[in-house]
Amino acid sequence: MVARFKTPGFYRALLGTALGGVFATALTWIVRMSTGHATFHHYLSGEAILTVSLIACPIFFVIGLGVFDYWFHWAAGRPTRPEDHSNHGAFTWKDYFKVNTDHKVIGVQYVVTSFIFLLIGGLIAMLMRAELAQPGAQFVDANTYNGLFSVHASILIFFFIIPVFAGLANYVLPLMIGAPDMAFPRLNALSFWLLPLGGIVMLSSFLAPGGSFANGWTAYAPLSTAAPVGQNFFSIGVQFAGASSIATALNFLVTIITMRAPGMSFFRMPLLVWANFSTSLLVVIATPFVAASQFFNLLDRSLGFNFFNAAKGGNVLMYQHVFWFYSHPAVYIMMLPGFGIISEILATKARKPIFGYRMMAFSLLAIVVLGFTVWAHHMFTSGMPAWVRIPMAITTVVIAVPTGIKIFSWLATLWRGVLHLDTSMLFALGFLTTFTLGGISGVMLAMIPFDIHVSASYFIVAHIHYVLFGGSLMTIFAGVYYWFPKMTGRMYDERLGKWHFWSTFVFFNLTFAPMHILGLQGMPRRVATYSAQFADLNLMISICSWLLGLSTLVFVYNIVTSWRGGPRAVANPWRAMTLEWQVSSPPPVFNFDKVPTVVGGPYEYGIPGAVHGILEPAHVGGAREPAGVSSGTHMSGE
Amino acid sequence: MEAASIAHAGHGEHHGPPPAHKSSRVDPQLLGMLLFIISEVMVFGAFFTAYFFIRVANGDPWPATHTQLPVLPTFFNTLILVSSSFTMHWAQTAIKKGNRLALKAGILTTFLLGCTFLFLQINEYANIGFAPQDHAQGTIFYSLTGLHGAHVTIGLILLLFVTIRAFRGHYSSEEHRGVEIPGIYWHFVDVMWIIVYATVYLI
Repeated sequence: MVARFKTPGFYRALLGTALGGVFATALTWIVRMSTGHATFHHYLSGEAILTVSLIACPIFFVIGLGVFDYWFHWAAGRPTRPEDHSNHGAFTWKDYFKVNTDHKVIGVQYVVTSFIFLLIGGLIAMLMRAELAQPGAQFVDANTYNGLFSVHASILIFFFIIPVFAGLANYVLPLMIGAPDMAFPRLNALSFWLLPLGGIVMLSSFLAPGGSFANGWTAYAPLSTAAPVGQNFFSIGVQFAGASSIATALNFLVTIITMRAPGMSFFRMPLLVWANFSTSLLVVIATPFVAASQFFNLLDRSLGFNFFNAAKGGNVLMYQHVFWFYSHPAVYIMMLPGFGIISEILATKARKPIFGYRMMAFSLLAIVVLGFTVWAHHMFTSGMPAWVRIPMAITTVVIAVPTGIKIFSWLATLWRGVLHLDTSMLFALGFLTTFTLGGISGVMLAMIPFDIHVSASYFIVAHIHYVLFGGSLMTIFAGVYYWFPKMTGRMYDERLGKWHFWSTFVFFNLTFAPMHILGLQGMPRRVATYSAQFADLNLMISICSWLLGLSTLVFVYNIVTSWRGGPRAVANPWRAMTLEWQVSSPPPVFNFDKVPTVVGGPYEYGIPGAVHGILEPAHVGGAREPAGVSSGTHMSGE
Repeated sequence: MEAASIAHAGHGEHHGPPPAHKSSRVDPQLLGMLLFIISEVMVFGAFFTAYFFIRVANGDPWPATHTQLPVLPTFFNTLILVSSSFTMHWAQTAIKKGNRLALKAGILTTFLLGCTFLFLQINEYANIGFAPQDHAQGTIFYSLTGLHGAHVTIGLILLLFVTIRAFRGHYSSEEHRGVEIPGIYWHFVDVMWIIVYATVYLI
């Protein structure tokens, strides 16, 4: 039994969590005692212990789990253990609950964890729509409702959309560039394990005295500095998500720059790699700002600092500037990897080279640069100097240009292509439709008078869901279907997949399109009730949203049953050219027996004799080689 | 873990991944540290944004009325931190030439100078006469210097690792990345302090 608490694993992690609580209690006690009663009225304060525990317990948990073991060993100057690679690959489902440094295992861990957060966030949305089915109070009080929409948005943004892209890229990106793993596999494991912990911190805010954080995912000061202790769960949860995504982004950048296969120049990289390169640049540069904004919040709330206390010279508008300087680039962090997924799928399933490959890559970089120049368009009604609106409106319109380049390039890719309308392609086409609609309402919102009219109305809700659900989530579904055979070695049920697409697409539009009208008519968002004139449309929206929620169950059923017992997938079911499809499904533990050589572009479909990469014949054998796999010696175009 | 490795040993065809192709002359660890420093610079950027809003946008007096900042004592503290960058550089060049004695002396001196800086900083907090709770200027003063102090602490932890490893016989003229990369972080901490000192104390 003692040995269980000594070896890395969940037992030691639980012990660590308990020690984290003890540490938090001791630390707050010592600090409060040493600074005296004048500042802190009691030596022991539940709120202080809770806040420090929220930081300490997850960190002690990952230490107990064994994420840091190697580094501790190294830091103590002991001879470093030779890497025996025993923790590469997953052989049973239990291996997914251990610290693993294999990028493919981490990718699956990431995707599954974030989909669990999707289901939780979606369930919260169902509750919100139940409350909004009729005007007046139904079954939750106004403050609980505020908590529901705040947690809904925060969980889905910080713990679903951002990490699920990191998870998909974690799985396929090293394969795509011909690398055996990520550049820093142990850091990769750390960034994954911070994620579920941060999500649990955020979700457990419902248990906090005074209820969960309840002022939106934006947590504007001074509303947030005056809120009950549940707000700290948000601030600290965001820190874990932020640290996780910075570490992953750094890892991606180093991997892409230093570990590409011979012959893979930057302009032979698949666009998914370009997309994650751009996204990672955004994350490394922008995410520290949201970390800082939540440090300010936490310091104001817990230690009585005066960042946002106007009575003592603080500046509340500063919060919005710092927050949006991250959170506007963050919308591109939530979208660019999706652009990459769509580029992969459209080229492969239209059997055509991607139109304007270089412009696709450059437009990603243009979005990275321009993404930092538009943040104050979220603040047109905030009371900042009025002239600031003008340049922000202009840059906001300008940033639609690189996005437009991408849309038209995708359309040109489809033009006269041989479209294979399977599930992932349907989601890609659905994405093109809904994201374009969301993009157009985004350009409308760049117009200052219009923005002032619909600010904080349901028009904003419609817009954000058209870009995040109709945009990001559609690409995520497309990507999951596209790489499902590669990740699991099984095929999904195509018929159920199509059912999933059509129900999602139809009910998505029926749910969110009417919100444009409600917003134009003046229905305010983030309010638990509304005036009777909006009742009919809201009831319809609620019913459609529940059906939209049910459509997700089709997806879950399809994925679970296919993963357990679907037909075995061949190495390259889509006849794609990129490198991840040239190894078996699922790939061997170390991806390649020998690093492949890249000799051409990634999308040269329909060009006779075109070759992207050359592989040595893969080594057959090993622990869990799926049946019926023949690893091709080179790429097959059409 | 042991059991797992025995279980896998049966499938002994693979003894590890193929070596990755090096597609860049840049060292991965070095690049990782530079990217980490970029994100650290952005954290400071956000804190300087707060400084800007409170000092410039609000137009409040700096430092707050009836308070003053110990410009001269902190100048000497600055000299201590800057000199630690030179001893760090000494240690780095020493190990590149394979001089392990100078490495040990240099890294230990750097570590102790860093500790001195941190000690004097805490001493300054104890005697400065205002608290972050008093006014927004105090908040910004403590936040910027405290954020920097946190980075000094991270740097010191890294230096402690290097010191332990240096005294335990690691590093040679061929393998000295473990000195070099924490060293880059330490230089970053020093440069950042000069910026913080200039903006908070001098102008």
